[in-house]
Amino acid sequence: MSPLQTIAVGFDGSFDAEAAVRWAFELARQVDADVVVVHAVGLLEHAADRGVAVELEKTVERLTREAGIDPARVHWHLADGDPCSVLIRAVVAPVAADLLVVGSRGQGAHAGRLLGSTSLELAEHAAVPVVIVPTGREGQ
Amino acid sequence: MLIVSGPTGGSEHDGGGHPERPARIAAVMAGIDDLHLGTDLQIVAPYAANLAQMTRVHDTAYLDELAAFCQAGGGQLDPDTYATADSWSAARRAAGAGLAAVDTLRQRDDGVAFVVARPPGHHALRDRAMGFCLLNNIAISAGALTANDERVLIIDWDVHHGNGTQAIFWDDPNVLYVSTHQWPLFPGSGTAQEIGGPRALGRTVNVPLPAGATGDVVRRAIGEVALPAIDDFDPTWVLISAGFDAHRADPLAELVLSSGDFAELARMVAGFAPRPGRLVLFLEGGYDLGALRMSVAATLGALLGDFYQPEDPTCGGPGTEMVHQARAERDEALHRAWSLAPSERRVR
Repeated sequence: MSPLQTIAVGFDGSFDAEAAVRWAFELARQVDADVVVVHAVGLLEHAADRGVAVELEKTVERLTREAGIDPARVHWHLADGDPCSVLIRAVVAPVAADLLVVGSRGQGAHAGRLLGSTSLELAEHAAVPVVIVPTGREGQ
Repeated sequence: MLIVSGPTGGSEHDGGGHPERPARIAAVMAGIDDLHLGTDLQIVAPYAANLAQMTRVHDTAYLDELAAFCQAGGGQLDPDTYATADSWSAARRAAGAGLAAVDTLRQRDDGVAFVVARPPGHHALRDRAMGFCLLNNIAISAGALTANDERVLIIDWDVHHGNGTQAIFWDDPNVLYVSTHQWPLFPGSGTAQEIGGPRALGRTVNVPLPAGATGDVVRRAIGEVALPAIDDFDPTWVLISAGFDAHRADPLAELVLSSGDFAELARMVAGFAPRPGRLVLFLEGGYDLGALRMSVAATLGALLGDFYQPEDPTCGGPGTEMVHQARAERDEALHRAWSLAPSERRVR
């Protein structure tokens, strides 16, 4: 198996997504990999001002500082699309991720098994391994 | 003769401040009124699509969960897509409005039908709601037609790629899906290399276009990239995913079409129908109410032979190079796929 070089982690600003980013940072430090924080721009966000993405990027910068990870190893990637499709495409260039990381539930997700479940759909369709980080387990 | 199936969705499925809102239906109907059609207008009451009709293109488990979610009061399905307590019934009526339009045209063997219904449908996948869409209305109608051995051409001129429709018919040789759309833009799919599954190579045609593209570029995209596949396919029905959010006033995207461009597009795609009574338009996007009203009127006026063109067609925008690139990428993808596929599956 080739060494892990690039970890892509989905980030929508939710509590669960922050947990996933922290977990990805910790893994990246252990295996000396880069992290690409991926944010999917939806229909409504595309029409809104870019303030949403700017705020999210600031949050990622804060999480980077808190994790003590080299900022040069953390990259921010915005792409139009729904979260699942954007992450599935993150396995090819320009992101070229070897591993995908997501929180167990993102924004708008609800208790249903099928509706709005990025993590489950990703696990079914992704071409690389997927880690689903349960909330509260990011440090373990 | 214009057959309007609907209107439905003019008061229900209201997300409160969401751009995909009930007022869109009133804007569409105002556009139809602007044509003063009199006896050339027939209104058909929609019915709710039943389970057998919906499960041709949607998974039963998804339908069950969507119904239960709405029954429990609804909420956000994803950051873009909402459902309310009455969304399940609204979505079933929107799907049924398409089926009623097809039934009516089949009986009349004449006229053009417009499905005035919401929520829209072309992003809805077999097992997932997304992009404001719950049920894939146009796919449910196309599925009913292919079940009767029809060959269905779907032209999707909404500014967003109809990923749900494409995915549902990806490997179905009896449906030719053609989309022009802004790219990059939600949902992120719709590259020219996406050409269909192994049983339906060439039955998907995508022409992504850059922000700022004008109407002449969209028509060139259809004429230069899609036309060979359409000629080869020889459809028995033509269904249009008629979104009007490529209009320059629309707040959700950056193509710069005018209502006059939709009239030109309508004239162009009407020529793909094999005979009268085989063309159905489905309302998809379009979120500026004034642009929606004008564009609907211009589109339907063109189809009915009237000249109602409140805005001139546009030309000169960017995108010609991207059209040429799409043609080249599609040809290359087809060539690559053909080299691995049996000869009877070859489609230009």
